[in-house]
Amino acid sequence: MTLLTLDDVDVFYGDLQATFGVSLRIEEGETVAVIGANGAGKSTLLRAIIGLTPPRRGEIRLAGNVITGLPCDVIARLGVALVPEGRRLFASLSVEENLLIGAARARPGPWSLEAVYRLFPAMREFRRQAAAEISGGQQQMVAIARALLTNPRLLLCDELSLGLAPKVIADIYACFVEILRSGVAIVLVEQDTVRARDSSNRLYCLLKGKVTLDKASRQASREEIRRAYFGDRAA
Amino acid sequence: MIVVEAVLNGFMVGGLYGLFGLGLAFAFGIMRVVNIAHGDFIVLAAYLGVSLLALTPLPLLVVVVCVALIAFALGWLLQATLLNRTLGPNPVPAMVTTMGLSIILRNAFVKIWGADIRSIDIGALQNKGLDFWGVSIGVLPLIIFAAAAGLFGAMHLLLTRTTIGRAFRAAADDFEILETLGFNRRRIYNAAMGLAITLSAVAGLLLAMRSSFSPYAGAERLLIAFEVVIIGGLGSLRGCFFGGLFLGVVQVVGLRLNPDSGPLFGHLAFFLVLLTRQWNISLPLAWRRS
Repeated sequence: MTLLTLDDVDVFYGDLQATFGVSLRIEEGETVAVIGANGAGKSTLLRAIIGLTPPRRGEIRLAGNVITGLPCDVIARLGVALVPEGRRLFASLSVEENLLIGAARARPGPWSLEAVYRLFPAMREFRRQAAAEISGGQQQMVAIARALLTNPRLLLCDELSLGLAPKVIADIYACFVEILRSGVAIVLVEQDTVRARDSSNRLYCLLKGKVTLDKASRQASREEIRRAYFGDRAA
Repeated sequence: MIVVEAVLNGFMVGGLYGLFGLGLAFAFGIMRVVNIAHGDFIVLAAYLGVSLLALTPLPLLVVVVCVALIAFALGWLLQATLLNRTLGPNPVPAMVTTMGLSIILRNAFVKIWGADIRSIDIGALQNKGLDFWGVSIGVLPLIIFAAAAGLFGAMHLLLTRTTIGRAFRAAADDFEILETLGFNRRRIYNAAMGLAITLSAVAGLLLAMRSSFSPYAGAERLLIAFEVVIIGGLGSLRGCFFGGLFLGVVQVVGLRLNPDSGPLFGHLAFFLVLLTRQWNISLPLAWRRS
């Protein structure tokens, strides 16, 4: 069943148009990668879905219901969660307090404090520390756990690998098997195209706010991705 | 002995000053609202106390609770009806709005309660004292100081132990992310402004039992609140508390030395703090853990 559909979505920042007629869909329980260069509109798309930057034109539906223009907190409680670019933990709260905030307005579901500690056992060690004091990789775990605690149907992940060591990135991606098992669908926004392709079912590529590729990840060749990523002129 | 007495009285006034600062800093830390009408709400609470005591047979404690509840409602309404319309990166619209509100309130005070200087008369309790090893301490100052310290303690527990308290601190850090976790930003702001006004209003009411006030006392109260926040550091509960105590003690001791000095010594001390600490005004804005 289709969980999320975007239909001809145009998002603006003031007078600047960031996306042009973007349409995409996400099925229940699948992982969709959205790749593209800096400024292609990937993060904008995530902000539009969760309601932080509502689209000016087009329609967004969650499990069949139109959610375009709903306030962000309402969309969140309908089952959309965001792991934001740069983690954006609440810096003056402890790690566990960050998690408690995530759980405070949660829908019913499998993710509890206990469950996220089982997903990231290392998190238990630094749960009393201030969120600002822990390393980037640790912060990323907390950001994912905080979003999961809302028990989302759709988890939006923005640039998980940004600024992290390869080993740490691999560890974090390894946990996605477990997360997917809970039935949540995932949108992975990545600049690292290889990793994005290898960990997703389907793939969208954005170029200057337009969808230039829409394919099953396994069938997308490197050449095709390159052309979609940089535009035809680069070919 | 006189010095000890003055210091203890300074603690009492200072505890209340700390609450003035806390209310101001709390609203600024979470909403980035510099509430110019903050002092006038403090005076309003004192007038409400005067009227409730004069017009109703309610005992003092009930009056304090009533004023606190009214103050919370007023703070909530202020945020919900006015200040939530001024949200955005620019802090000036909220400042201008509250400045206008301040003028309205002052003139309303004159219209309703007259321009006389007033204070709250609480009868026998006013002059009761206890004797500790030759130092006499008023019962009322003791109760007031305990109330102020208790309110600070309650705020600490609220901010660290409850969901709404954690949400207040999280909203100060990053309100967008808080929204993506299902919290309604405006409702949190409403509650925060309600709480900010309540803290300072209760302090204003208590202060009116020890000293007098006029319709225009709001400006002085606001000035004190700013000084407390700057001495104590923005976004720190403990800083507000000790900043208030410092200012209170200096002022009361100064008054003993020269009864005509009024708040002069407090302001001088603040000036010295500014000079010596080379204060960086662009402090981290977040409401930090205390």
